[in-house]
Amino acid sequence: MEKTTKRGYVLIILIVLFVLGVAYLTFLFFTKGSSWSSNRANSHIYSSGRITSAGNIYDRNGRILAETKNGKRVYSGSSNVRRATLHIVGDTSGVISTGVQSVFKSKLTGYSFLNGIYSLKKYGRGNDIRMTIDADACAAGLNALNGHKGTVGVFNYKTGALLCCVSAPTYDINNVPSDIRTNPKYEGVYLNRLFSGVYTPGSTFKIITSLSALQNIPGVELESFDCEGSKTISGGKLVCMKHHGVLTFEQALNNSCNCAFADISLKLGKTKLAATAKSLLFNVPIKADGINLAISTFNVSSADDLELAWAGVGQATTLVNPCHMMMIAGAVANGGVGVMPYVVDEITNQNDITIYRAGVKNSTISIEPALASKLRDLLRSNVKNQYGDYRFPDLSMCGKTGTAEVNGKESHSWFVGFSQRADFPVAVVAVAENAGSGSGVAMSAANAVLQSLLK
Amino acid sequence: MPERRVTPHARQSAANTLKDESNKRFNWTLMMILMTVFQLFSFFTVVFPDGELNTKMLCVYGGYIVFEWLYLALNELITKRSDFQLEIIAFFLSGVGLTVCGTIDDDYAVKQVTAIGLGVITFTVLSLLIRSTDTAMFLRTPVAVAAVGLLCLNLVLAKTVNGALNWISIGSFSIQPSELVKIAFIFVGAATLEKLQTTRSLTKYIIFSIGCVGALFLMRDFGTALIFFFTFIVIAFMRSGDIRTIIFICTAAFLGAVLIILFKPYVAARFSTYRHIWEYINDKGFQQTRVLIYSASGGLLGLGIGNGLLRKVFAASTDLVFGMICEEWGLLFALLILLSFAFVGFYAVRGSRKASSCFYSIAAVSAAGMLLFQLCLNVFGVTDLLPMTGVTFPFISRGGTSMICSWGLFAFIKSVSYNIGDVVPHKRLKK
Repeated sequence: MEKTTKRGYVLIILIVLFVLGVAYLTFLFFTKGSSWSSNRANSHIYSSGRITSAGNIYDRNGRILAETKNGKRVYSGSSNVRRATLHIVGDTSGVISTGVQSVFKSKLTGYSFLNGIYSLKKYGRGNDIRMTIDADACAAGLNALNGHKGTVGVFNYKTGALLCCVSAPTYDINNVPSDIRTNPKYEGVYLNRLFSGVYTPGSTFKIITSLSALQNIPGVELESFDCEGSKTISGGKLVCMKHHGVLTFEQALNNSCNCAFADISLKLGKTKLAATAKSLLFNVPIKADGINLAISTFNVSSADDLELAWAGVGQATTLVNPCHMMMIAGAVANGGVGVMPYVVDEITNQNDITIYRAGVKNSTISIEPALASKLRDLLRSNVKNQYGDYRFPDLSMCGKTGTAEVNGKESHSWFVGFSQRADFPVAVVAVAENAGSGSGVAMSAANAVLQSLLK
Repeated sequence: MPERRVTPHARQSAANTLKDESNKRFNWTLMMILMTVFQLFSFFTVVFPDGELNTKMLCVYGGYIVFEWLYLALNELITKRSDFQLEIIAFFLSGVGLTVCGTIDDDYAVKQVTAIGLGVITFTVLSLLIRSTDTAMFLRTPVAVAAVGLLCLNLVLAKTVNGALNWISIGSFSIQPSELVKIAFIFVGAATLEKLQTTRSLTKYIIFSIGCVGALFLMRDFGTALIFFFTFIVIAFMRSGDIRTIIFICTAAFLGAVLIILFKPYVAARFSTYRHIWEYINDKGFQQTRVLIYSASGGLLGLGIGNGLLRKVFAASTDLVFGMICEEWGLLFALLILLSFAFVGFYAVRGSRKASSCFYSIAAVSAAGMLLFQLCLNVFGVTDLLPMTGVTFPFISRGGTSMICSWGLFAFIKSVSYNIGDVVPHKRLKK
């Protein structure tokens, strides 16, 4: 009898397991509740996969980019703004996965662990998001790409606020083209090229090679290089744009001389060049404000000398994400301290109370201040002595062009740079696909956006 | 059992404990006042939908509150007892289930309140029956035969509902015999003479258990089969205390399960979405993903009774009712409900030590174990922590037989509180 009754304690095991299970379930609700509730199958928020009720999205000047009216999601009144901000705002069905409407969907619904989406039901809208981008600058950027596929991005290199984000091709969300899935014109249209694109960097990579040279070759600034228009390395041929003759290091960068940078790359060797690239976050996943950037890749581990030389001038297998390149330029501009770009400036709830405000967040890109300063002077020299300050009025611009060769087609046009104005600390990147030289469309697009932001 | 010397001191303290137990008055009126306030609030949305009085629902819900008070008051008057913790928990849970029904359909509420009534009757009759251990011993074999018979009848008349054959229809009513057999299963397993049990004396019960579990397997009601198996383990352990036998049985069952999965792939296929529900969000994982999506939408405090959307999903008020509670009443309230079941578990364990008969001890622990295990399968099943087996949430899921079964199991748990004086003394029946 007594034994039997004591055996009742076996039930304690089940009770303990049950309570542990319940605790774990509560923990899951706490950690995953926000993503569960913002699932597209949630009919409180979505109707057949399309957002019906969510907060407003504003640009930095308070212009409405997206809002909910009578249970429907509506966008900016201007077709140009709709097209230019499509990728950063995101579409209604969430196909553009890096858009704010996708990445910040749980914020837009106003979910909280305490109340769930109660406020969304009560007020019919969630939290409002004010973005860092300037709608007019985006429109200017899209216009300046002049029909080319590509991207323009601008961010404040001191705070990280992303001021412009344009990706082409794009479409008007109010008037989706019927041939969007078949017409080659719209190839990759759902991709935000600033975040999700990767391109051969061309000569913009010489910024990285230069940095590595400054880090590893003492007195490289005083060396001179002899360019004969091409160079034979381990039986292959590396070509330059022209016969540059004898150049200083500064002139070599001004002229973007392949021969000189091939010499530098070979002198650096694989290990040192790869180490510099790694310290600048190549081959590393980067998450900026919840948005995953495409990984930039630099791999010379199995390269021969010719391939290493090509890699040092930004050809070969190297691929760079434009936003990442902009971050590197920003770190150089900011005295060697890299900051993370962000797109959401402020989130306010239905009672206009601010529940989130962005702050400066450093990236792990870090360059020795003295070297950053030298590199800044070199990039300033590029604009001053090579491209011409008239290309960037009132900006005290630094930068580097790139002409990335692609097989069988016109080259991709790159420009990456930054303004040195203390009241306008911005870095810019522009890529125009198959648009030829970097000093063409990319540089013009970069300037167009910066001028629009200055207004 | 070796005789123990009982010192006068020990005898004295035992007497004191007994006295304390019987003198301690549980203030059920205060609990009922609090619960009535709660129920008035929660019933409001059903009785006044869109601000207009629904007379039919006023009768159902008003009647329910009056019934609760009458039942407990009369109970105290007749039995001179006031320890109604279990009854109040059962009324509380049933009331929540009733409200859920009422927010969906008036007819559901009428059916559900009838089911609660039948449940209370079952609870009362069963309590009276098992008060005499002699009657219980006498009824053991007939109940076992009837239970297996009912399951066999079920297999013959079965109509498939959602892949399981566990329903029979009588006129416009459909009943789930396996729910009724749950009561019989505990009854037969626990009804044992007060002497030290051995593995040998388990044989008949093992045969009975295999019959039940086997029938459930043929009905493809794997969830209930699992509940029976678990309960069997608890009872077998309580009766024999033999860990080796338990391990042997579990191993055998595990091998059996492996064989079944090998030879009957459809069994495994039923559970293929386990831990992969988001990949099958619009087909096989539909119900569980919706439970998680809408439960999370409710947050800690809920969206308000009737304001949820999980109610539109199939089986919302039956299998998925936990999600409905989370979404509309809030996670905090759902946790309160779950913890009240944990309390019932502790009540059974604590009581089993002092039970006046080892029949009650085994019955209470195994009934509480059965309820708790079923609750685990339900709650963790719909949230994908365990495979989903389609078992009901005791007391709250809509459904008559499930309600009757839940109340019936509570009668077993309650039995640990019978004082020695209340119990009809055991006499050997001459056969």
